[in-house]
Amino acid sequence: MITALHRAWGRYVRLTTHWPAVASIVPFIPFVLMWWAVVAAGLFPRAFLPSPVDVVHSFADLVYKGILPEYLQDSVMRLAVGAFWGIALGIPLGILIGMSQLAHRALWPLLLFFQAIGDIAWLPILVIWFGYGLVTMTFVIVYTVIFPVILNTVLGVRSIPINMHRAALTLGASRLRIVWEIVLPGALPNIVTGLRNGLGYGWRALIAAEIIVGTSGIGFMMFDARRAGSVVEILLGMIILGVLWYIVDSWILAPIERATGQRWGLVTR
Amino acid sequence: MKSLTIRNLSKTYFDAYAGKHVTAVHDVSLDVAEGEFVSIVGPSGCGKTTILNMIAGFIPITGGEILVGGLPVKGPGPDRGVVFQSFALFPWRTVLDNVAFGPKMRGTRKAERERIAREYLALAKLTEAAGRYPNELSGGMQQRVGVVRALANEPDVLLMDEPFASVDAQTRMTLQEELTRIWQQKRPTVIFITHDVGEAVFLANRVVVLSKGRKLDEIDVNLPRPRSWDELNDNDAFKALSNRVLQLVRAA
Repeated sequence: MITALHRAWGRYVRLTTHWPAVASIVPFIPFVLMWWAVVAAGLFPRAFLPSPVDVVHSFADLVYKGILPEYLQDSVMRLAVGAFWGIALGIPLGILIGMSQLAHRALWPLLLFFQAIGDIAWLPILVIWFGYGLVTMTFVIVYTVIFPVILNTVLGVRSIPINMHRAALTLGASRLRIVWEIVLPGALPNIVTGLRNGLGYGWRALIAAEIIVGTSGIGFMMFDARRAGSVVEILLGMIILGVLWYIVDSWILAPIERATGQRWGLVTR
Repeated sequence: MKSLTIRNLSKTYFDAYAGKHVTAVHDVSLDVAEGEFVSIVGPSGCGKTTILNMIAGFIPITGGEILVGGLPVKGPGPDRGVVFQSFALFPWRTVLDNVAFGPKMRGTRKAERERIAREYLALAKLTEAAGRYPNELSGGMQQRVGVVRALANEPDVLLMDEPFASVDAQTRMTLQEELTRIWQQKRPTVIFITHDVGEAVFLANRVVVLSKGRKLDEIDVNLPRPRSWDELNDNDAFKALSNRVLQLVRAA
């Protein structure tokens, strides 16, 4: 019995090394089966707790009508635009604050003050200023992404050993080249951590913003479904959120981490 | 290669905890000729690393002067290469790119700087490691890279700060032998900081003994080259010199 389990486990490990996608699907199987079992037991009315099959049908239906692809595209675009600006502003600011004592003194208190005003807390005034549009959404996402990116970049810049700077200087690097050759790669593992946190918060902020001010998007779809009393669409929205984040993590963030910090031995696997 | 002149060098700094001024280096003078290998030896806290950091331009001097090729030192620069105890290799660059870094900063084009890097890697028997990252190498190999990275930039003076202190004893002996061999080929001007008396004598033309921030004595080492541990271990002149330096260091 034990050896059989052992052999099965060995086979599974070999399978997942050939097909890594299997490893990301298998853990969900017991979860979906349990969900199915609860629905099949008939403890709750179908409209209250739909089955996995209902959700799949709803998925196919919304894809067929073109609503889901459109909403998905809207949400992902908003996140991409917000993330782009959050990264484009956050990394240079983080490097500046990390390298310059003056910039640190001038900006750090402001940073902590504004970090405390959560993204959602900005929505009332943003709606008055910019209305229910892309500007408001982008502002909220940039705002959410930028703080973890800045704070982690500062940490990364400051944790570069002083001898790295010294070595570069004695090899003839100018202060400007040091930013590109030493500071940026040295801080990269922390920057990626900042991105991971920032994008995670940004994704949540986006859904919240869509629920409150949206006219499209996954968050809007879920809230709209609540008004219509469609639990199946709410569940579908939740599943999409999880799947999308999984894709962002395993297709974008994890490969960057493997190619940088882990490859260089700065981060242990 | 250029000569190095140190005149009445001093370093005092304010110790915030003790609340008073502390003298780390006091009135040290030293002339190092072009292509000479000088070891500075002394116990921990004798000021030897402080002197090296001032020559490198990492910390400001508070008295006297340091001249490289007759010109005063102003901050770090590529005329003074440094080999660090902690190696200080760039983890995000391959071994080849680490060694090519200095030429790259000089504006040498890619093909030429990689040719230079490969030449120096061959000198330290590192040809096979060119494409690897520093974290994939042993400590001994990492420091070989550290040495040739500094040499490949062709500095006027090579400063070595206890470079072999963090590798195992057998590897250290090999590295010392390789360093004397490379020094004979390239003849850089070298300042070598160490607390290991045997190492200081083995490598150098001259050993400077330092204690409590002051220069105690200088001892010329006229041992034949090439030097190897197999020969010098039983060499009476080497033993006598080592004993003399050791007594100076211990009495300090």
